[in-house]
Amino acid sequence: MKERGEAEDFVTPGEVLGKTSELKPGNGAYVSPQDNTVYASLAGIRSLTPPPPESADLRPTVEVKGHKAHGPVPEPGAIVLARVTKVMAKMASADIVCVGPKSVREKFTGIIRQQDVRATEIDKVEMHSSFRPGDIVKALVLSLGDARAYYLSTAKNELGVVSAESAAGETMVPISWTEMQCPSTGQIEQRKVAKVGA
Amino acid sequence: MEAKPSVAPSSFIDQQVFPGDLVLDLSKMTNQTIKLGGGLCQDGDVISVMKAGKLRFSKPNKYWVESSHKRYVPSVGDNVLGIVVEARADNFFVDIKGPALAFLPVLAFEGGTRRNIPKFETGTLLYVRVVKANTGMNPELSCTDAMGKAAEYGPLKDGFMFESSTGLSRTLLSSPTCPVLETLGKKIAFEIAVGLNGRVWVNATSPSIIVLVANTIMQTESLSPAQQKIRVENLLQKLQ
Repeated sequence: MKERGEAEDFVTPGEVLGKTSELKPGNGAYVSPQDNTVYASLAGIRSLTPPPPESADLRPTVEVKGHKAHGPVPEPGAIVLARVTKVMAKMASADIVCVGPKSVREKFTGIIRQQDVRATEIDKVEMHSSFRPGDIVKALVLSLGDARAYYLSTAKNELGVVSAESAAGETMVPISWTEMQCPSTGQIEQRKVAKVGA
Repeated sequence: MEAKPSVAPSSFIDQQVFPGDLVLDLSKMTNQTIKLGGGLCQDGDVISVMKAGKLRFSKPNKYWVESSHKRYVPSVGDNVLGIVVEARADNFFVDIKGPALAFLPVLAFEGGTRRNIPKFETGTLLYVRVVKANTGMNPELSCTDAMGKAAEYGPLKDGFMFESSTGLSRTLLSSPTCPVLETLGKKIAFEIAVGLNGRVWVNATSPSIIVLVANTIMQTESLSPAQQKIRVENLLQKLQ
């Protein structure tokens, strides 16, 4: 149910939304430079957001929200939760599960390179002592990367392994920023652990 | 589920054990700090067997299960015989009879620099040392020892390589020297390289000697030490 005061305009891709002199394109809209017009690029509901008060630009932003709500998409600078799928000598692959607090609808892959695991002594990083397949890690999206995967980084204290299973199958308890311990067998395994809490 | 084993641990040592056997009960042992090697798993207070084989014990507190397989599980520090499959910019891909191809960095040689990278063709036999062997990752190899010296590692030229089980490799490498090699060595001059992954390389001056040594080793694998000696002496007599 829409609670906004705007009129519910359903627009289709290619429909004219206005002129660039009056409107700024947002999500789902684009500007054609030949004739300075803002067109819609998605099929959905048009919505106008008034400009922020401090900006010099006084044009409202026009957005088109698709009728099918898409899940969140990782953007550079977002904190994501990912499950590690493969650990190799110089990098680890992970499937992105959540962007911020929301879970994603499509499959996104991320790569954590050896130099992005931590901030200090980056050439001495052992990938196997930082992550194992199956670990849940909190990471920062560095960039969109290439066609295959986003580039992720865990090079901060609060980033790294959040939850991991030991070889015996139990969820491990973190005991330092490099070690986690299995509660049933007492074995200590090495991980790059995220600092949780204050 | 937990059947309290009423047998003392000493009765299982050096015996054939099977998966599911409960071999140790920690609550009944005086020294409760023990080291478990391959094939054993802790289940609360009981140690159970996961791999069929012989239970071995070494003082003061190490237990493990020894078994012989045709497959090799890469483990750090092992000396193995690998075959080059592909040469890439940074690594050679080497087959060591494990679940995954192993990487041999092109600089992992004594005095190795970017200028003198060895050129190994596909199929070259190498004597290498396993440096990293983590589950899920490709193992990493090296042609130097821990100090960085070449120490016999590298390509093996001429000779003949045959594949057998990991148990035979361990027997051939055991000390004191196993009876087969000792008896053969008294009469014949030959060179041998044993890989813990079940590959053995033999070299000698003439092909007939190589064939004799290789066949002898393969045929005497399942014989007891005394039988081995007798068999080898019979074979040698036939040669002379």
